[in-house]
Amino acid sequence: PAADPAVISPQDPTLLIGSSLVATCTVSPDFPLKAEDLYWTLNGRRLPAASYATLGPSTLSVALAHLNGSRQQSGDNLVCHSRDGGILAGSCLYVGLPPEKPVNITCWSKNMKDLTCKWAPGTEGETFLHTNYTLKYKRRWYGQDNTCQEYHTAGTYSCHIPKDLALFTPYEIWVEASNRLGVAVSDVVMLDILDVVTTDPPSDVHVSRVGDLEDQLSVRWSSPPALKDFLFQAKYQIQYRVEDSSEWKVVDDVGNQTSCRLAGLRPGTVYFVQVRCNPFSIYGSKKAGIWSDWSNPTAASTPRSERAAGGCDPKGGEQNTTLRRELKQFFGWVKKHAYGCSNLGIKLYDQWRVWLQKSHKTRNQVGKEP
Amino acid sequence: SPTGDSWGIFTFLCAALCNLPALPALNCSEELGAGQSIQQTYDLTRYLEHQLRTLAGTYLNYLGPPFNEPDFNPPRLARAERVPSATVDLDLWRGLTDNARLAANYRAYSRLLCYLRVLDGQVGTAELRHRLAHFCASLQGLVLSIGGVMSSLGYPLPAGPAAPPAGPPGAPAAPNDFLKKMDDFWLLKELQTWLWRSAKDFNRLKKKVPPAVVTLRLEARGF
Repeated sequence: PAADPAVISPQDPTLLIGSSLVATCTVSPDFPLKAEDLYWTLNGRRLPAASYATLGPSTLSVALAHLNGSRQQSGDNLVCHSRDGGILAGSCLYVGLPPEKPVNITCWSKNMKDLTCKWAPGTEGETFLHTNYTLKYKRRWYGQDNTCQEYHTAGTYSCHIPKDLALFTPYEIWVEASNRLGVAVSDVVMLDILDVVTTDPPSDVHVSRVGDLEDQLSVRWSSPPALKDFLFQAKYQIQYRVEDSSEWKVVDDVGNQTSCRLAGLRPGTVYFVQVRCNPFSIYGSKKAGIWSDWSNPTAASTPRSERAAGGCDPKGGEQNTTLRRELKQFFGWVKKHAYGCSNLGIKLYDQWRVWLQKSHKTRNQVGKEP
Repeated sequence: SPTGDSWGIFTFLCAALCNLPALPALNCSEELGAGQSIQQTYDLTRYLEHQLRTLAGTYLNYLGPPFNEPDFNPPRLARAERVPSATVDLDLWRGLTDNARLAANYRAYSRLLCYLRVLDGQVGTAELRHRLAHFCASLQGLVLSIGGVMSSLGYPLPAGPAAPPAGPPGAPAAPNDFLKKMDDFWLLKELQTWLWRSAKDFNRLKKKVPPAVVTLRLEARGF
């Protein structure tokens, strides 16, 4: 095989940002080129002749100072050319920083069957060089280190451990970051699988109207299937928003029921509703688990108000609006300070509203009579 | 009634199937004539050519300048010869038999696929790995398609390992990172040239092997 036209030294070096480098290009004896026939480029840009030095009849050097981080992770391209532009040899420069300790390791287990962990890189500067992350874990008083294999399952900096996890035993988890310039190990996180359990969102979320009531919607759902398989209780949270708003309202005190009634809503409006679940009291412990994802949004609309068109009976309407508002507020208060979604409070309120609407209808009819 | 509905659906499906133009073709034991396979292979080369443009763009940007500069033309060093070259003397190309033409394509893409797969294991970014994997899958499809055409015309598939283990013996892996970048550049260039050439190869084959002729040939052999 033919010899390479020239040799560059150093070949493919790794350097710290800010360091300096002197590289030499030596033409092979088989080639009729002299040092004055050569020039250098870095990433396609010609380097100034002022930085060159002739070290021998067929050896030209270049001095590079205060190197910036590599333009691409495959390395900066330092190339030795002959006068006509032809490439004689090249060297890839890897300029960067050693990695810093990965931070913010958070883990969660889906239904106590697996463990997914994510972390953040120590610094922004880890993009100059390719950095490899390895998640490791071991049971606390048993020697053997295990390495996680399935990466990028929940974003770039994540890993998934699918099986062979023991319950009721603390695990030590850490992440090692390594690149050409060094290694950094995160702090060790200790956890028991049972402390970081999450589950699937509730299924079959149905939102429906409550008869003719304009300001209420009824939400019903099924508990996640995994609830049956193992001993945890579930608590739920609902969030809802008006169709054209991005502000979610959260209903926190749903407890462990699988239904709830939303009240104080706007009539004739489309609402999006989501439910999520938190498995707690796993095997009797008092701790809460991790909230599941929100269920897919379900939409429903409140019935349109009959009075929406405006005042057919302005005076009477005004009076009723103020009274109604106050009453609504009162019952809302009762609802909150009595028991969240307590049926007793709601039923009373419903009956009042129905009565209120009936009484308003008769009042309108009275007004219309000639 | 439920049973009445099922009968209705069944009758409708039968009628629909019977009206499909492809149905008569099913009388042959070969579902597609070689002509149709050649057309499909041609279409596949055009699709791959399109895919390659995006892949090459991304990959050359990863290699960095000057590799991603439009006029970049580095020397093709001795070690780069292991990648089969698409360029061939015009008269030689015209004079190729159908078998030789197909075999050259089959061999070339099998080798190129092999080298691409090695690349896949080495590149840095997740995006690149994803694109490469997708391209390799499509290229595998092309190799199989060419094999299919050869079989349907009665030609034997080229002998020897379709996928040399880790490069042919005697051609070492690039001794340094810069030379490896040059190898990668030439691999992509050669792939591009082959896809251009294959389009012409299959166009030529299309004219020489129309569907009707193939069907007759098959019937004559008692297939």
